[in-house]
Amino acid sequence: MRVFGIILLALAGASVLAWAIRPAPAPPGVTPLVWVSDDNPARRGHIEQFNRLHPDLQLRLDPDNGGMEKVIVQSLAGVGPDLFDCYGPQQLASYVKAGIAWDVTAELQALGVDPRQDTWEAVHPHVFYEGRAYGFPANVSVDVLWFNKDVFDRLGVPYPTNRPWTWEEFIPLAQKLTVREDNGRIRHFGLCFDTWVWKLFLHQWGGRVYSPDGTRCTLDSPEAIAAMQFTQDLIYRYKVMPSPADEEALAQQGGWGSTSIKFLGSGRIATAIGGRWWLCTLRDYKGLRLGAVEMPHGPIRRFWGYGKSTLVNRNSPRRKEALEFLRYMTGLPYNRLINQQADGLAPMIRHCGDETLANPQFPQEDYHAVFRDVMPLGAPEQISPFVNAAAAERIISIQLDLVRRNAKSAADAMRSAAEEVNEEIAKTLRRNPSLRRQYERLTAKAIPTPMTGTEGGGRP
Amino acid sequence: MTRAPQASTPPRPAARQNTTAALLFLAPNFLGFLVFTAGPVLFSLVVSFSNWNLQRTEPFGWIGLGNFRELLTDPRFWLYFLNTLYLMLGIPVSIAGSLFVALLMNQKLRGIIAYRTLFYLPSFTSGVALMILWKALYNPDFGPVNAGLGALRDLLGLSAVELPRWLGSMTNLIGLHPEEVRLTWQYLGVGARDAIIIMGIWTAIGGNTMLLYLAALSNLPQELTEAAEIDGAGKWQVFRHVVWPQLAPTTFFVVIMSVIGGLQGGFEQARIMTGGGPAGTTTTLSYYIYNKAFTEFQIGYASAVSWVLFVMIFVFTLIYWKAGSKELSY
Repeated sequence: MRVFGIILLALAGASVLAWAIRPAPAPPGVTPLVWVSDDNPARRGHIEQFNRLHPDLQLRLDPDNGGMEKVIVQSLAGVGPDLFDCYGPQQLASYVKAGIAWDVTAELQALGVDPRQDTWEAVHPHVFYEGRAYGFPANVSVDVLWFNKDVFDRLGVPYPTNRPWTWEEFIPLAQKLTVREDNGRIRHFGLCFDTWVWKLFLHQWGGRVYSPDGTRCTLDSPEAIAAMQFTQDLIYRYKVMPSPADEEALAQQGGWGSTSIKFLGSGRIATAIGGRWWLCTLRDYKGLRLGAVEMPHGPIRRFWGYGKSTLVNRNSPRRKEALEFLRYMTGLPYNRLINQQADGLAPMIRHCGDETLANPQFPQEDYHAVFRDVMPLGAPEQISPFVNAAAAERIISIQLDLVRRNAKSAADAMRSAAEEVNEEIAKTLRRNPSLRRQYERLTAKAIPTPMTGTEGGGRP
Repeated sequence: MTRAPQASTPPRPAARQNTTAALLFLAPNFLGFLVFTAGPVLFSLVVSFSNWNLQRTEPFGWIGLGNFRELLTDPRFWLYFLNTLYLMLGIPVSIAGSLFVALLMNQKLRGIIAYRTLFYLPSFTSGVALMILWKALYNPDFGPVNAGLGALRDLLGLSAVELPRWLGSMTNLIGLHPEEVRLTWQYLGVGARDAIIIMGIWTAIGGNTMLLYLAALSNLPQELTEAAEIDGAGKWQVFRHVVWPQLAPTTFFVVIMSVIGGLQGGFEQARIMTGGGPAGTTTTLSYYIYNKAFTEFQIGYASAVSWVLFVMIFVFTLIYWKAGSKELSY
């Protein structure tokens, strides 16, 4: 018993010590705010600037509680953040349905901001749900064609110029830039892009992931098949891009978003499709000489736009104060900082002038206007309310992997993907009566319910 | 004079105090077990009968056996179950290797403790670090594995033979199709799944199984081996007819634990080395459960998969236990 008592006392002492050294609370009169976002140096810059501009508020970053499930569960339990980032339309829908995203339509109007007019279209689905605004865009991006000037100089190939051009024009250049050593190993490839860029080609060939009403996956359309066939041809017909096996051979280590950036930075590829946010990493490569131009296009001159938004927790007791951060996001200081840090492009169109894009610390970067000029061509992400986006993404990515590994033709893979995603839609409809009614309204087609004995059945 | 039976003697105050202290010491751990292990396990059983989705894409509801019915017709579930079984092909090799190393480590040599430590190193090195290292080793163009195989190939004059692409390849030793539960020659070869098996064997050979065998070997009665040797038995005969039967209880335990570990395994490898690819060929049931629960947020369905996995493990253990108990005579 004595030993137990001693240990209990020791634990109590440790608890008192932990209590004593806990982080200091905000000073009297200062309201603390917690923002769940990624631990990016850019965020720290924003926090410093915001706190300086708002001495009555103290914004803190919480990078450890990111992830939708944590944000939702913590917010519903009353211990959620005041502000959190949203990475796509599907996430926005989930936050709204969970009742934790605050409808700030009226508040933004009161601030004199109209996100539909003032921000880039590509990121509107990250903010608007059923016509209401639930936050403000944090940054946006449309990919361009990056090129490594050293590789071009080594081969004596002139740099590409910034103009609209097609893949047919680009391929001969990429073939010139793909160089093999005598033993057959590749010295550098002409082009590289990360797997998630596949939607870009879909837009350029006029394809869609889902029908406009979201009721059907349309990856089996001739346009979608042609787009994916082209990505396969870049690897196996034109031989200007690394296959997945080549990528694994080139890569010494993985990591999110790293593959193409590292290849470009290390001169293993001559050109790459990527966003302005790549600069956050590429600026660390000493002596790297880069250029950027509009990327080639397919039958349609259209690109893929993406980004993220910041939402206010509807259940936060400090949501009025948190709204100040959204107001800050509409202003010049925030937008200039985003542009100068190159964390994508600033969300406010009017704050993307040449004077905010250039960073005096990096005078050699003469390509920032390219990123702004292609923004209006960025198509927003397509989603379907009738399917779990992550489940659909998993199905599609397996089929795309088979295409990229030349294990399946683009036509077969896209048909399989469409079939499996449509089966997922059918599963959702069998389980969700309200979605089933919505689907029936859109398609004027009655879906048999599980109660009527069609458990295993039917595609939508 | 007779003494009252000890059981009926009232406990002395000191003994009662000891019992109370023991219970108090056990209580936090037991409460922790109830709250953080038993509770969630039971909770997962309950939610496996629901359509609970963290994204709230559908209203919460009880769907009875709906998840289990869906699971049985889910082709991915069966593919990933097959992947799990395939990765378990390394278990017999691991066990045999562990026994061999234990026999070596059981010799009375100078510096044997240093050898034992060296062989055990992979077990207490961070798994993540090991996997990143193996990823580099398997690099098809620049990795030491293919460099060695390439040199051997050239030595044998087989330059036409293509070297394995390891983690980037869907081929496998029995020709499993990546999308269907069937065999095809097109996928015959050495690929990502085999790379993971080889790494698993390397990690396991000097690990806990070796320690268990080593402990069992050091507890074997010496007189049996000495008697066999006096009777003229050679080393192999001593091992086959004296040592191996004595190790049966350890082997029984090791097989059960390895199969349980194998059915639950593959998560770290998929997460760190392959992302479950190429084309899902290294996705095992545990990685599928993770993806369903924490990427697709289908908690109800993921719980159902977990419970089916539990039933598989339980049934295997039960059968093996019944069969093994009859065979074991030690």
